[in-house]
Amino acid sequence: MMNKTSPLEKAVMAILIVLAITFFMMPVFWLVTTAFKFGREAFAIPPKWLFFDFTLRNFQEVLATSKTGQFILNSIIISTGATVLSLVLGVPAGYAIARSNSRLLNLSAYFFLLLLMVPPVAMLIPFYLIMRDIHLLGSYAALIILDTVFDAAFVVWMMRSYFADVPKEIEEAAFVDGASHFSAFLRIALPLSIPGVVAAALYVIIYSWNDFLFALMLTSPQTKTIPLGILSSFSSVEVSWGKMAVMCLFAIAPALIISLFLNRYFVQGVTMGATKG
Amino acid sequence: MNSKRWRKLSFLFVGVMILGLVSCTAPAAVAPPAAPAAGEAAPVAAVGLEVCKGQNLVLASMTDQYIAAFRALIPKFEEASGATVTMDELGYVDLYQKLIADFVGHTANYDLMTVDIVWSGEFGQNKYTLPLDTFMERDQAELQLDDILPVAWTLGEWQGAHVAYPLAGYANVLNYNKDLLAQAGIEPPKTQEELLAAAEKLTDAAKGTFGIALLGAKGSAVAQDYMSWVQQHGGSILDDNGKAALNTPENVEILKFFGELFKYAPPGATDYWWDQRETAFRTGNVAMMEGWSIARAGYENPDLSSIVGKADLTSAPVKAGMEPQYGFGGWGIGINADSTPEEQACAWQFIKWLSSPEIQKDWLRNDGAPIRRSTMTDPEIVAAYPWMPLLLESFEKGDGDYRPRIPQYSLIQDALGTHVNAFLVGQETAEQALEAAQKQVDDNWQ
Amino acid sequence: MVNSSNQPTTKRRHWVASVRRIYRGDGPYWAMLLPLLVFVVVVAIYPLLFSFRISLFKYRLTDPDQVQTFIGLSNYLRAFLDPAVLNAIKVTLVYVAGTVIVELVLGLGLASLLASEMRMTRTIRAFLLIPMALPPLVVGLVWKSLYNADFGVIPYYLKQIGIGVGRGPLAELGWAMPAVILIDVWQWAPLMMIIFLAGLKSLPVEPYEAAYADGATRWDRFAFITLPLLKPTILLALLLRTMQSFKVFDTIYATTGGGPGSVTTVLNFHIYTVGMTFFDMGYAAALANILMVIIAVLSIVYIMLLERQQL
Repeated sequence: MMNKTSPLEKAVMAILIVLAITFFMMPVFWLVTTAFKFGREAFAIPPKWLFFDFTLRNFQEVLATSKTGQFILNSIIISTGATVLSLVLGVPAGYAIARSNSRLLNLSAYFFLLLLMVPPVAMLIPFYLIMRDIHLLGSYAALIILDTVFDAAFVVWMMRSYFADVPKEIEEAAFVDGASHFSAFLRIALPLSIPGVVAAALYVIIYSWNDFLFALMLTSPQTKTIPLGILSSFSSVEVSWGKMAVMCLFAIAPALIISLFLNRYFVQGVTMGATKG
Repeated sequence: MNSKRWRKLSFLFVGVMILGLVSCTAPAAVAPPAAPAAGEAAPVAAVGLEVCKGQNLVLASMTDQYIAAFRALIPKFEEASGATVTMDELGYVDLYQKLIADFVGHTANYDLMTVDIVWSGEFGQNKYTLPLDTFMERDQAELQLDDILPVAWTLGEWQGAHVAYPLAGYANVLNYNKDLLAQAGIEPPKTQEELLAAAEKLTDAAKGTFGIALLGAKGSAVAQDYMSWVQQHGGSILDDNGKAALNTPENVEILKFFGELFKYAPPGATDYWWDQRETAFRTGNVAMMEGWSIARAGYENPDLSSIVGKADLTSAPVKAGMEPQYGFGGWGIGINADSTPEEQACAWQFIKWLSSPEIQKDWLRNDGAPIRRSTMTDPEIVAAYPWMPLLLESFEKGDGDYRPRIPQYSLIQDALGTHVNAFLVGQETAEQALEAAQKQVDDNWQ
Repeated sequence: MVNSSNQPTTKRRHWVASVRRIYRGDGPYWAMLLPLLVFVVVVAIYPLLFSFRISLFKYRLTDPDQVQTFIGLSNYLRAFLDPAVLNAIKVTLVYVAGTVIVELVLGLGLASLLASEMRMTRTIRAFLLIPMALPPLVVGLVWKSLYNADFGVIPYYLKQIGIGVGRGPLAELGWAMPAVILIDVWQWAPLMMIIFLAGLKSLPVEPYEAAYADGATRWDRFAFITLPLLKPTILLALLLRTMQSFKVFDTIYATTGGGPGSVTTVLNFHIYTVGMTFFDMGYAAALANILMVIIAVLSIVYIMLLERQQL
């Protein structure tokens, strides 16, 4: 209705989208082709995008010799754990801060913000020492806990903003009808902020998924995650680009699947018609 | 004793057994009893592979070429000894960090680890790995120590003790492209001066071919190459007292020479890490490249290299008139000082087994690097790898200390890495660069 | 409670009533906040305090005797006089400004372009998230190869269209910072896209309908309705991305190592060098605290803007 776009506008938009896709996908495409190339062709000049000697050798090597399956599993466990925990803890907290009038409560929000400002290294060493002393080093729990601290802080601030966008009138109407605060949150505010929750979830999943520094210090050989697995292709003499590209693809695939799945929830908020006048 | 007492005692006995089993299989959960004091091996009576029965060892290995040899040989060891050895493959970035974390945290996740030659001082001084001398003395007869090349001992020697055992020896050699040299009518250079002249002749920027590929990237890359050239000109990073002496007039001259060489290197060379240097040579665009001998076999692999059959190597050229000495590097294998005595005993068996002359042949055949003279002169090996005799000569005149294996090594490496790179990109003059590097080292020297 | 004199009683009743209202009003909110608060305090308090404390000491991490000498504020003093630190701060500010501004604009543009719920745009959006799925370290290494002056893809095409690359985008003094910023943009602009997308999705429809009825063009609608309504989201995105950008490390480590020279040595990278190469934990902790203060100051500015928005 109001979105009547002229052909010119459509064309311009199409061109821009194509440019964006080219820019963002070029390195990914390079990785894909490198995964299927022999090592000697990885850097052939002129670059071979479409026609090259195809091989599955890199895949065979990676699957045969390294524990890629285990790495992917570990990454999934840790990412899922951190996401679930940070959403469960963070989303209600974000709502509470958005709705509450208490200065004190609002102040605590800044404490979470402080966490996001801390350079990770500063937290890592003491956290490492604690985990060592309580014998949790190398467990899934150690990494999930540390990731959640930062992830939840991020979730709180994102949800605070999105919940603030949800008009209070509906909830207040519900209060008049006798609903509790918690059910107002669960039945009204939350459904209206699903896009925000999805955005927060995506961010948290990604953040835990590609974390390298914490994983390096806190995992054991059994709980190693994918980023560390990718690094094993770097020897002191050379880099096996073919194998590294394959492992990168294994790193990307689950994330891509999850985001394809979650993108469905980026639906238009059901706020239209519900606000005043 | 009456039956009640028996029962109590047997409970106690079983309890202790269980505790013992639990603490054996979960080394990370309990801080092990104080590791054997330096120099003292655990008093284990058995000397052979029997100590390994039922042991679980974890090996942290660099993903260099020899890892293929580990993969091939570990099952054989497991069969022969009854132990299980799990290998964790780590890249250069994370191997060091994870090892330090393991040592400083006393978590003993790894029982065996590959130790870079330059880490010997740091590991030795901080007592991270177990000194192996008691083991070595006890098992002297089996080890055939004279067969191991003298220079190979630098792969783990520190102040008279051995904190790691030789695992894989690398010699710095000059690789060259036979075709490109023949086309230009040049013989492989024998001196540094010839090297520079050859590089100039072989460079044709318009065609995209260059004389030599070098490591210029800021950090450990350029530091290693620069130190290599210092060695090849007979200079030294340390003075006679073992302190860093970076800004000597000789080193300044050598730095200028190094800068000259870069004129005949591909434009991106000031940003090259190891794999970019390898790629430059393997694609056939660059005529010469100094590097570790372990990469040589890779040039004959059609999957990796576009110059199959065209590569050859010769000993790294030294300055004219200098007594030939060749850079030596590589990896040792160490035992974690925090592992339990039983694990340490079995780990030692693994090292003994791996370094024995018979297994060394398999080691080499599976892309490992040599440490023994017998291996390098074995007719089968020489037939498969014709460059072995040349390598042997490089080892015999090898210098494993041209990159100081002292605890402050990373400090020197960082200082040189920053300022040599600054010189190469024109930000500092040679004198300024080495002055600044010297100052940085002096300010932070512990 | 009724009294003969009305005024004091009413006031007191109001006071009691308002306290009760706040308590009753906010009780549930505290209940929703408490789990997270407790969790974070338990887990993060010790590390935070450790970091503050150790910055007042001289401490080498690898010291076998783990000696800690109290030196008061001299680590901080040293930092302010250290030219390497001052340079690092400058470099960091340039990096943050560059990345955040470009990512903001690009993210907003992408979100607007891809806002519709057609199958195709949804799929494109999902694919655009791939850059975020790779560890920044790996992204850096891949881009380092793409930028390689001799056999990298990008210089190849640049040379084809006549642009010389010299030593390569990462090795030339003038190009290194933009090149590194581009890598960050590649990886994180899609995140901005997501944040704005969620924001766009929750905008009310009425203003648009009214504007259309009034004959406003697409551009007008965007500039005068969308942008103002999105202001809180924009500020949020700015805040979060700025904080993240200040902490960049992996990309620098993988691509330039802080070079050429020190044009890309951001503060977090310098902290790593101090802590991990020199193992000078006390100084590193002091630098980390300084970095945190810088971020905090900027964040306070953003928040003040945000707060005014929420009223």
